[in-house]
Amino acid sequence: MARMRFLCDTERCIDCSGCVVACKEGNHVPVGVNRRRVITMKQGEPGEKSISVACMHCSDAPCIAVCPVDAIYQREDGIVLVSKKTCIGCGYCFMACPFGAPQFPKGNVFGARGAMDKCTFCAGGPEENFSKDEKQLYGQNRIAEGKPPLCSAMCATKALLAGDADIVADVYRTRVFERGSGVNAWGWSRAYKKD
Amino acid sequence: MQRLIASGVLVMVVYAVALIAGTAIAAPTAFTGLAQYFSPQYYSELYGGITGNWQELGQLFTHLQATLFWKIFLGVITIIPVIFLLHFIIIGAKKFSHDGPEILFFNLFTRIIHWIGALSFTLLVVTGLLIIFGAFFGGGPPIRLARHIHIISAMVFAVDAVFMFLIWVKDMFPAPYDILWVFILGGYLSKKKKPVPAGKYNAGQKSWFWLATAGGGVMAYTGYIIWGMGADLDTVRLYTIIHNVLGMVLVSMLLTHVYMSLFAIKGSLQSMISGYKPKEEVDILHSRYKYE
Repeated sequence: MARMRFLCDTERCIDCSGCVVACKEGNHVPVGVNRRRVITMKQGEPGEKSISVACMHCSDAPCIAVCPVDAIYQREDGIVLVSKKTCIGCGYCFMACPFGAPQFPKGNVFGARGAMDKCTFCAGGPEENFSKDEKQLYGQNRIAEGKPPLCSAMCATKALLAGDADIVADVYRTRVFERGSGVNAWGWSRAYKKD
Repeated sequence: MQRLIASGVLVMVVYAVALIAGTAIAAPTAFTGLAQYFSPQYYSELYGGITGNWQELGQLFTHLQATLFWKIFLGVITIIPVIFLLHFIIIGAKKFSHDGPEILFFNLFTRIIHWIGALSFTLLVVTGLLIIFGAFFGGGPPIRLARHIHIISAMVFAVDAVFMFLIWVKDMFPAPYDILWVFILGGYLSKKKKPVPAGKYNAGQKSWFWLATAGGGVMAYTGYIIWGMGADLDTVRLYTIIHNVLGMVLVSMLLTHVYMSLFAIKGSLQSMISGYKPKEEVDILHSRYKYE
């Protein structure tokens, strides 16, 4: 079975936040929740880099380990999903996650957190595929439709890759060999090189 | 045999040379920059702002919550009642006559404060355990409700604990004879009615008082921060660990308190309802208490 994976090519990411918008709009993500975000480091300085991050769909995911109600589970293809009907909003997954992926919409009792919301790899949730419940709770199920996740599908520079880990790695490896990486990557110096 | 060893050595030498030469050649090529953006330092810098230093408290919290906390809680709520059951069977309850003269121990205000605290604290413990063993109960709306009851009871108890503190604090400072009480475990291991070294409250009650009020304060504060994530993530992780560990102590103290009042001393529950304790019981269990 293929292992699903995200990979953000930092040489290509231009911090347009298109992935964030595509995910939020396409999945009708609750107010105050961003399943994906773009982080820019060394902003305005030499060596500026942007990377788009969301749930990493870890093997041996810490969130699954700490969840007191076992609401989080991992599919055979590595996608980590949450059952919003089981989740109690305790926030332990957010404390355990090394990537800050779990998000919590505001609930209505004393500011209690609502059920956890995170990147689903556009694979919906435990509910039946394409059911009304699934659509309402988790957004689109593009994996079941045979499409890539919204964020990577719309990425203008094709920086964000998503899919079978082996294929993603192949694509990335080919890129790195062709253009180099880090200081050797094509950029201004290549464009205005004098020789 | 010699040829075999020789060829083995040759192969190893070839590999070693290839390895050294390989890394030397590979270094200046396309991969130079790669390590920079896929190194642990890079990711730690990248996510540091969101999740703090995961390798320290994040990992500790994940490990404790995943493997240890629920086991200890399960141990506390099973082993302690079993010990008490054995105590009840082997040594049995202490019995004091309620027909003789009685001494006022708790006035009406004290009793009201006690019972508000008792109700809210019991709810806190029960709902807390429901959350910890949420997976066993299937999670979902019932456990979500438990969380909401947990926060409401906490608000009630937090106010109540202030009154508890003010009412009882003057009698709760440790005294030298408390050490003796601890050594003989309050005389609960013998059937004899021998005067036990204790003032108005014994060492067990004193530790229960300090854990419930001061410890309750710590629980309230850490719980408030956990509830609202009102601090940076590393602090929230630390507070969650403190909340759980102190919770274990408080659950065991509540179990002890309930056993003592309901079973270990027959009829002692009456003193918190009527306010009076039998003179005989006070003379033995609180021998250093100078009542009027």
